[in-house]
Amino acid sequence: MATREEIETYIDRVALGDRVAFAALYNATSAKLFGVTLRVLNNRAEADDALQEVYIKVWRAADRYQSNGLSPMTWLITIARNHAIDRLRTRKKGQTGLDEVAELADQAPGPEQQAIASSARAQINNCLDALPADRAEAVRRAYLDGDTYQDLADAMQVPLNTMRTWLRRSLIKLKDCLSQ
Amino acid sequence: MTDDVTDDAPLSAAAEYALGLLTPAQARAFEAEMNSDLSLRAELAHWQEHLVTLTDDIAPVAPPKATFDAITSRLFDAPKPRRNWFGWLAGAASAAIVVAAVMIVVIPVPNPTSNDLVAGLVGADIGLRVDATFDPDTNTLLFDRVTGAPAEGRVFEIWLIAGEAAPISLGLLPEAKTGQVQLTAELAVLVDGGIIALSDEPPGGSPTGVATGPVVAVAPFANG
Repeated sequence: MATREEIETYIDRVALGDRVAFAALYNATSAKLFGVTLRVLNNRAEADDALQEVYIKVWRAADRYQSNGLSPMTWLITIARNHAIDRLRTRKKGQTGLDEVAELADQAPGPEQQAIASSARAQINNCLDALPADRAEAVRRAYLDGDTYQDLADAMQVPLNTMRTWLRRSLIKLKDCLSQ
Repeated sequence: MTDDVTDDAPLSAAAEYALGLLTPAQARAFEAEMNSDLSLRAELAHWQEHLVTLTDDIAPVAPPKATFDAITSRLFDAPKPRRNWFGWLAGAASAAIVVAAVMIVVIPVPNPTSNDLVAGLVGADIGLRVDATFDPDTNTLLFDRVTGAPAEGRVFEIWLIAGEAAPISLGLLPEAKTGQVQLTAELAVLVDGGIIALSDEPPGGSPTGVATGPVVAVAPFANG
C-alpha cells in the first residue's frame, strides 16, 4: 500500500495531466475502490464499469482535490462509494446524485481538518456501538447500502417521519460522541 | 429542526448529506449553503472522514486486467467520427443550429446489453459528459449525466437527427443525474444510424421548435 503522501503526490500530478501518475494512482488504489464498488453493487460487471467511471471522475476532478479538506483515500473512497450508490439507486429507480459530494470544493481547509483523518479511524465503530443496535444498523445501511429514509422505514416497519426523527437523533448523538 | 431533542449540538444537513439521505432538492440547497459557509464544509469533511472508516473492513479486490485500458481509452482515445454527419450539422447551422466550438468525441460505453445502441455525448469545453443508451426492446432512451450541467437558468434540449430531415426534439434532458425518454415506434426506428445532440436552451426548451442555442454535444448512436 502506498503511503498517504505518495497518493497525494499522484493526485497532484494527475491534476496536471500526468498520465503516468494516473497509472500509479490506479495501481495503488484500484483494488480498494473495486472492493468498495463490488461491496455496494454486488455484481462484478457493474462494479467494474462503476470503477471505470470513478477513475474518469478522479482524472477530471483531481485539480479540486487539494481544496476539499479530505485525506486522499477518503476522497477516493467517497467518490467510489457515492458513484456505486448512485448506480444502485438507478438500478432500483431514478434517484438523486451523490457524486458531487466529494468533488465540490472551492475553499481551502484549515489544519484542523487535515488532522481529522488520523483520529477518525475506528472511532465511529465505538460511537455506533453506543447507539441502540437498530439505529447503528440504520446508519451503516445508509452508508454502505445506500438505504434512503423510506427504505429504512420500510425495513423497520415504522412510519417515515418516525424513522427520520430516530435517525436524526442518532446522528446528533453520534456527532457528540465523535467530537469527544 | 422538527425534533424535540434539546441538544447543544443541533444537526446540520451535513451528516444526512454525507449519508445520501437528503432529497435532491435538499442536497442542492445544502451545497449552495456550503459554498458560502466554510464551517459546513469542514463539518461535512469531518463526517466523511469518520464514515469512510466503515469501509475499512471491505477487503481490496484486484479489478479485471482490462479495466485500466478501458479507462484510458475512454479518457484519451482520439475522436473518430464514423459518418458524414458533420457536414449535415454545418449545413444546419445556417438554418437553425449554431454549432459553437463543439467537440466531437465518440466514447464507447461498456457493458450494454447486447442490442442496445449507445452514444457518448461530450461537451469538452463545458465539462459535459452524458451517456445515452437506447433499448430497442422497450423503445426507451436512458440518459446518464456523468459530469457537467447546464448554466444557471438554462436547460439542455435533446435532439434526434436522422438522415437529411430536420432535428426532432425529444424534450429536455432530465435535471436528475439519470432519466429516460420513452420514444414512439415512429421515432424509435430513427435511432439506429441516427445522431443525438444537446443544445443549450432557455427554461422550458426551445420556444421555436428548432434549436436556438449552441449545440453543446453531439454523437452518433453505435452498437454497444
